[in-house]
Amino acid sequence: MKEARTQIIFVVCFLVVWQIVYQMQAFNELVFPSLKDIGQSFIDGFREDSLMTYTMYSMSLILKGLAIGIILAFIFSSIAVVSKTFQAIYHLIVSVCDLLPGVALLPLAIVWFGIGEITTIFIVVHSIIWPMSRSIMDGYNSVSKIYIEGGRNIGLRGFNLVKGVYLPAAFTHVLSGMRVGWARAWRALISIEMIFGTTGAGAGIGWFIFMKRTNVDIAGVFAALIVIMIIGIIIEYGLFHTIERNTVKKWGMAR
Amino acid sequence: MSKILEISGLTKNYHDAPDSEDILKNLNLTVNEGDFLCILGPSGCGKTTLIRCIAGFEEYEGMIKVDGKKVEKPGIDRIMVFQDFNQLFPWKTVRKNIQYPLKINGITDKAELDRIAREHLELVGLSEYGDFYPHQLSGGMKQRVAIAKGLALNPKIILMDEPFASLDAMTRNKLQEELWRIKEKENATVIFITHNIQEALVLGTRILLLSKQGKIKIDMENNVAKPVTPASEGYGEMWKKFNDALWEEDEEN
Repeated sequence: MKEARTQIIFVVCFLVVWQIVYQMQAFNELVFPSLKDIGQSFIDGFREDSLMTYTMYSMSLILKGLAIGIILAFIFSSIAVVSKTFQAIYHLIVSVCDLLPGVALLPLAIVWFGIGEITTIFIVVHSIIWPMSRSIMDGYNSVSKIYIEGGRNIGLRGFNLVKGVYLPAAFTHVLSGMRVGWARAWRALISIEMIFGTTGAGAGIGWFIFMKRTNVDIAGVFAALIVIMIIGIIIEYGLFHTIERNTVKKWGMAR
Repeated sequence: MSKILEISGLTKNYHDAPDSEDILKNLNLTVNEGDFLCILGPSGCGKTTLIRCIAGFEEYEGMIKVDGKKVEKPGIDRIMVFQDFNQLFPWKTVRKNIQYPLKINGITDKAELDRIAREHLELVGLSEYGDFYPHQLSGGMKQRVAIAKGLALNPKIILMDEPFASLDAMTRNKLQEELWRIKEKENATVIFITHNIQEALVLGTRILLLSKQGKIKIDMENNVAKPVTPASEGYGEMWKKFNDALWEEDEEN
């Protein structure tokens, strides 16, 4: 709880400094809005600009992308443990593909899948699967030999060994991979939404930010950023910390 | 007594360097059911390699047969207890650590699993600790659980690679005593590697001393009456015999 208190004090101080800078009128009000304006935009966003709909749409895309990306990363990384040939090939693929920014693939994806959900999900999956695979494979490679031999000794082979030993033993790496994947997914999603606009099936937070910028409603841009931050906090402290507390921390594998 | 383990012409070379020497060279050994075989020897004599070959973790030349069947891969008929305290799966409770190997080997009845876990935890004196995670236990307790886990699978041979070497002297003595009691009760066959002559005398019914390349230098029955203490009749003689042989080894190298 001490950690939470420190964090809350920090946020409050940050907001106070923000408001002081605003009061000093060091910057144009247009580009440096007051807390009150941002707060108002935040409320208006949900009340009048259907910010909730945008948020839910973005969330649905990111969840679909995450689910596909995580599952594929697990499948491929696990095959890489069982087959050395596949490992060599997959390692090359990950090294190459991880470098390609999702946005750079966007023109291709549009040609292949058109403008719409499939293209967005494709790019989101692309931005998750490689860093996730890297973390999972790093994790698998660092699993202590004694667990693997213990597993083989009691008759585990192949994928059962991966499931029964590699995966839980590498869980700290898996979790950090999920965090990276989640963060990367957001970046990809927002960029694509800003590029696509409403031309597709629906519009998300990226589009909302883009629209607000076009109207020079900077308070509105901040309101959308705050939505993303709040989602981030919920996922980090609500989801990841809960998983950690019930797994690696409980197991004494992380402090 | 029936032969449980037959090794003939066992040779092992890791081939990790162009001029790598054989770790084990043409080793022959038979172990009877119910034996408690202690293997002594200087570092690098191939003790651990031998036990790993029996466990099925290494490829080898020659023949290793357990209960008449050739060893080709690890299996639950030969359970290994390592020196490392971290051999239990940290993500499972003590009870689950014991039950999991049983589960994946076909015992799925909940009541049966609970009974086996309870009996074996009792056997090693850890009845209260079933719900603990390994990181909450001391080193000695972890080794007890590892032994319980091995016994629960009812293996033909229990292979122990210096399981007590990292423990303090008091705990070690206590565990030796317990292990002997358990071995007697379950009539288990144990192959036990150690650096410690006292340990070999206390536990072994038969003691082997290996020298370089797994050459068997001494192979004798341990006739000192159990429970063995330094005051036991014949202890001094035996201790001196093995100690001299180990020193001799040391000077040769």
